[in-house]
Amino acid sequence: MSTVAPDPDVSVVVIVYNDEERLPTAVGSVLEQTLRNVEVIIADDCSTDGSYEVAQKLASAHPGKVRAIRLPENSGGCGEPRNQGVKVARGRYVMFLDSDDTLERNACRNMIEAADRTGADLVSGLCVRVHTDSRHDKRILWYPWLYRGTRTLDSVAELPDLFVFDTLSTNKCYRRDFLLANDLTFPRGIHYEDLLFSAQAYLAAEKITLIPNTVYYWNVVEKTAAKSISNRRNEIRNFADRVEIHRRIDAILDRQGQDELKLRKDIKFLKHDLVLYLRELPFLDNDYRHGFAELARGYVQDFPEAAYAELDRVHAICAQLLLREDWTDLMPAIDTLINRNKISAPLVEHDGRIYWTDRYLDDPEMRAVLDVTTLGYHAKPVDAMFLRNQLTEYTARGGDLVLAGEIVNPLHTIAPDATLAAELEFRARRRSLQTFRFPVATPRHEGDAIAWRAEVPLARRLRPLGIIDDVWDVRLHLTVDGKRTTSRLTVGTVDLEHAQDLPVRPRLTRLMADRVEAQVSAKGHLAFRLIQQGQAARTGRAVVERNLHGGPARAAKGAYRKLRAVRRDLNSGDRKLQVYERMLTRLPVRKGTVVFESHLGKQYSDSPRAIYEELKRRGTPITAIWSYAGERPTGFPEDVELVRRWSWRYLRALAQAEYWIDNQGYPLRLAKRPETTYIQTWHGSALKRMGFDEPTYRMQSEQEQRAYQQALDRFDHFVVRSEHDVRTLARAYRIPEHKLLRTGYPRNDALVRAREGTEAGPEARRIAERLGIDPSRRVLLYAPTFRAHPDGRVRDFEFPFDVERFAARYGDQFTLLVRAHYLNRLTLPPSVAGRVVNVSAEPDITPLMLLADGLITDYSSVMFDYALLQRPIVFYAHDWEEYAEDTRGTYFDLLTEAPGPVPRTEEELFSVLDDLGGVHTRHEARLKEFVDKYGEYDRGDAAAQIVDRFFGPAGEAR
Amino acid sequence: MTERDIIFVANEVDELGGVGRWQAQLAGLLADRGHRVTIAGIAPANHPMDLGENPPFKTVTLYAQRPPGRPRRRRLLGPADPALRRHEAHMRGAADRLTQLFRAARPGAVIIVTQVWAMEWVALADTAGHIVIGMTHESFDTARKSSRFERVKKYYQDVDRLLALTQEDADRWVGEGMNNMGFMPNPLPIVPDTPSPRTEKVVASIGRLSHEKGVDLLLDAWAEAAPKQPGWTLRIYGRGEAEAELRARCTELGLDDSVDFAGQTEDVPGALRASSVFVQSSRGEGFPLVLLEAMACGLPCVAFDCAPGVREIVTHEEDGLLARPGNTTELARHLVRLMSDERLRDAMGEQALSSVRRFDPDAITRRWEELFDFLER
Repeated sequence: MSTVAPDPDVSVVVIVYNDEERLPTAVGSVLEQTLRNVEVIIADDCSTDGSYEVAQKLASAHPGKVRAIRLPENSGGCGEPRNQGVKVARGRYVMFLDSDDTLERNACRNMIEAADRTGADLVSGLCVRVHTDSRHDKRILWYPWLYRGTRTLDSVAELPDLFVFDTLSTNKCYRRDFLLANDLTFPRGIHYEDLLFSAQAYLAAEKITLIPNTVYYWNVVEKTAAKSISNRRNEIRNFADRVEIHRRIDAILDRQGQDELKLRKDIKFLKHDLVLYLRELPFLDNDYRHGFAELARGYVQDFPEAAYAELDRVHAICAQLLLREDWTDLMPAIDTLINRNKISAPLVEHDGRIYWTDRYLDDPEMRAVLDVTTLGYHAKPVDAMFLRNQLTEYTARGGDLVLAGEIVNPLHTIAPDATLAAELEFRARRRSLQTFRFPVATPRHEGDAIAWRAEVPLARRLRPLGIIDDVWDVRLHLTVDGKRTTSRLTVGTVDLEHAQDLPVRPRLTRLMADRVEAQVSAKGHLAFRLIQQGQAARTGRAVVERNLHGGPARAAKGAYRKLRAVRRDLNSGDRKLQVYERMLTRLPVRKGTVVFESHLGKQYSDSPRAIYEELKRRGTPITAIWSYAGERPTGFPEDVELVRRWSWRYLRALAQAEYWIDNQGYPLRLAKRPETTYIQTWHGSALKRMGFDEPTYRMQSEQEQRAYQQALDRFDHFVVRSEHDVRTLARAYRIPEHKLLRTGYPRNDALVRAREGTEAGPEARRIAERLGIDPSRRVLLYAPTFRAHPDGRVRDFEFPFDVERFAARYGDQFTLLVRAHYLNRLTLPPSVAGRVVNVSAEPDITPLMLLADGLITDYSSVMFDYALLQRPIVFYAHDWEEYAEDTRGTYFDLLTEAPGPVPRTEEELFSVLDDLGGVHTRHEARLKEFVDKYGEYDRGDAAAQIVDRFFGPAGEAR
Repeated sequence: MTERDIIFVANEVDELGGVGRWQAQLAGLLADRGHRVTIAGIAPANHPMDLGENPPFKTVTLYAQRPPGRPRRRRLLGPADPALRRHEAHMRGAADRLTQLFRAARPGAVIIVTQVWAMEWVALADTAGHIVIGMTHESFDTARKSSRFERVKKYYQDVDRLLALTQEDADRWVGEGMNNMGFMPNPLPIVPDTPSPRTEKVVASIGRLSHEKGVDLLLDAWAEAAPKQPGWTLRIYGRGEAEAELRARCTELGLDDSVDFAGQTEDVPGALRASSVFVQSSRGEGFPLVLLEAMACGLPCVAFDCAPGVREIVTHEEDGLLARPGNTTELARHLVRLMSDERLRDAMGEQALSSVRRFDPDAITRRWEELFDFLER
């Protein structure tokens, strides 16, 4: 309709250098844009192949839409071709595209719609890295958290992460006037030109809009071949360019007074940029290391204290050791940096803290850096440790291999007199049916480490298939007094490049591969790869590769996948549910079977356990089945049938049971047949709102609420311990009056009996002995509840008081038992050993309560139970407002109801503890009232009442 | 300005409800600007509404009776299933009529598909090179809980633009891989004239008495708020299946003296002008027109922040107060704040009156025209 061709909305500058094959695809992705009013400028960096001819052909095929320009000489980078492209661009906006990448179809439309709407100088969208050589075109999103939603910034300082992380120039759309007015160009003759250009553009832009749309596909070819030493050296050399670019950016930040951005960038440099190079250091000799350290030191030593303070333990250790050129301690630290679970250093214990090394302990600053107590290494048993295993010898001779190495022995965990045994295991990286094991001569202590050596007849014994299993990983299993720990072999400076490769005889003959060569994995570990050296192997393999993509192979692969899918389907939750409903629940009910479950199978504990034990004590003839969660059950009695939660046997047991007894809920989707009686014991009185009183349940749709109600309606009986429970829990779960069992909690029978002094509790005594509690000291139990982020994620546990100060002040009077909520994890420093004990792993809290002379809690429901003992309770409510204001709300105000002191700070807490006896006398009356109000039915006979009612009175056969 | 042929394709031409009202309003607004507008419905309405004497647009309905649903796909037969093929042939016949309609439109025409069910027919038709704009008239979260979620992703995949109600909803769809998203707010359904004097001690709630509208939550909140502000009345307009249950709940909470079930009203602006505060306690919303109406009457609004559409309309602490979804205590606190502070009511009410003008019908119509031009580029 319009007669004059308007100026294009967008000019896309496509740069190319010797890439004639892929150029048309890149240009095509622009021409096929949903926004039609675009132009392409192909900027050829003086290619020596036919790229420029291809560009000219594209230009003549699309006159007015595609233009081609050529640089007079090769510039060697991406910057100059882009600069030249921008010079001739006519569009209102400019975007950049590399010849090996593509634009998403709607990229231009989405970019300029956002720019026009917000008036932004720069719009940035999501970039997707496509790994073109992976089997399924693996896709990785580029900093997706920056691109969760549309967002407009008046300055990049509002979102430092954008400035710091997304340094690409290609996933962006720039107003052309903006580029020209600010004279924004790429630097020449230096690597990392994007970093500087993007930084300048971000800082110059008066408005930046981010859009969540995918705009750019960055095609990546992952080099499968291992890096050579010279590659690694080159990378270290590039570091000089990187530092130079960063210095230039710093100068601009300094001029603009952008201190916060500079700090964020410093932190990122230490955490990310530096790490890229640190990874290479283990493979290089000390000259290269020294050169790198000098360059790095020259740049990072001026970073402010605040930048180092943001680093996590391992990063900080690496940075400080690098500045000191302490290679001996740095190399293990780098290993842990790359393999985060690995324990790499021998470690030392000093004054009750754990340190990476003992070398700098007289320097207080370094001592703080090297303190790794919070990492919890010292609390791990040897079979839970992933230990550094440094390769010290690699010799290939003929078909045999000699390997030797040293395994780190942190804190002398492996005792000098421990019985040691070891074997090497070769396992294909892609799942295969084969593993090969080789014996290792007896490992022995050698200084701080465990030394080992093995002669491996690799050529004779390793029999790979020949296809699919090209890469083989090596592990070493070390057995220490019967406990096994598995390590990988860290290559370090052992020279694999000049090592001989070995002959190999695949099961599919030598036409698949004839040699195997050693290489280093991305994590720095020894691996082997099959190669084809001889003519026969090379042709043989080529034929196979061709056929792997042919029709019959596709059919075979398809059939295999289908088979796997069928198997997956048969064991899927939906299928199990179907079978449960249609078949299992039609089987006859087995009289006398009772299925027990506590806390979703996590423990053998709580009221279901108390009921079970009462049944057992009476010798009632029932078949008890306990459900457990996780890999293997721990702590369950030996004479009951155990079924794993959600297993077929579990479903069948539930389907045929006469009784279900649990304290939280069997899977919501499992319907209960009418012949089965469900006794819901529940697991605690409520302070926080529950069930249909929780906002999330209240907001559910009718359908969702109906489904939830149905699950709740499965309960035939619901145990309560007070009228408070009736008003809160029973109402919240809509339990009708006739289902209520006003018996009190079976789990609390022991507490009531202990109060009445009729029973001392042999189990409690056994636990006290096992935990090594000094009988002369009083015992305090600290049992806080967990806290959640606003989005519902559980927050990490942190002590709200200084546990070392506690131990120092009260260590001679109290033993503090700390029980974290089961959703939390906790590490104690060794300095408090014997005075503060972590009891989070104890399955049942009741014996711990019996042991304790006093309780410190915050808002945990343990307060309602412990009160039965009539012993002092301290409510350390340091964050009550935050907790009570949280979206759920509470049923009553703890601050006014609490039957004990409510300290709000550490100081207040300690002054309360100074006079625990006084607490008892002052609050005795209130504690009684509290029990009357919240535990009126807990009279010590709950289990007996329940068993009487459902299984007949004691002594009577059913 | 280009005068265009604009064809709406909707489930029905004149179904009573929010979408029907929106469609008739926008069609009228576009017709007023000189565009030639047609509304094509797939099926006749279940509960037809009155489109007026001479609507300024043409209407056509493809089926005389609501067509049967797509037969369930039987795995063994696959696409060869005769029942499936019969159904498709049947659909194709109706789609052919759409094709004729599209082909008869002049270049520059725009097809607006109001709902995804209608899109199933548009997808079978030849759109003759015209711009196709799809719409999803509900929040992302509501769509996600229904079968529409998968159908939106399937049938709207290749339309030129798929419009959500808000930027936030559009972004969520982008996260699902829909890269052709845009958004368009609904226009104000009424012209604000005389605002409420805000002198009556009345809090108003207007909506169907159904689970989704959450009046049960409102009663709980009112039970916390009312004792703190005696003399105020909560007037609940609307009727629906939950009415008896709600009345019983009201009595149980002892609120009969301060709650007034006023039944359905034909005069929404009148009801709003007789109140001083508006409250909405819905469990889910799209782009609630009644909030726009309340603001257009100068009322400060208190609402659960249950959907992007709600926070798009009400700005917390400026022209209303938002509570976390389901937190009745917080909703009650907000109500008490407004009931107890006349100056705050007036300030927020006046602010509402002016800020709601960004949804002025003229402004929204212009945005539509700019979108048409943009999609032609």
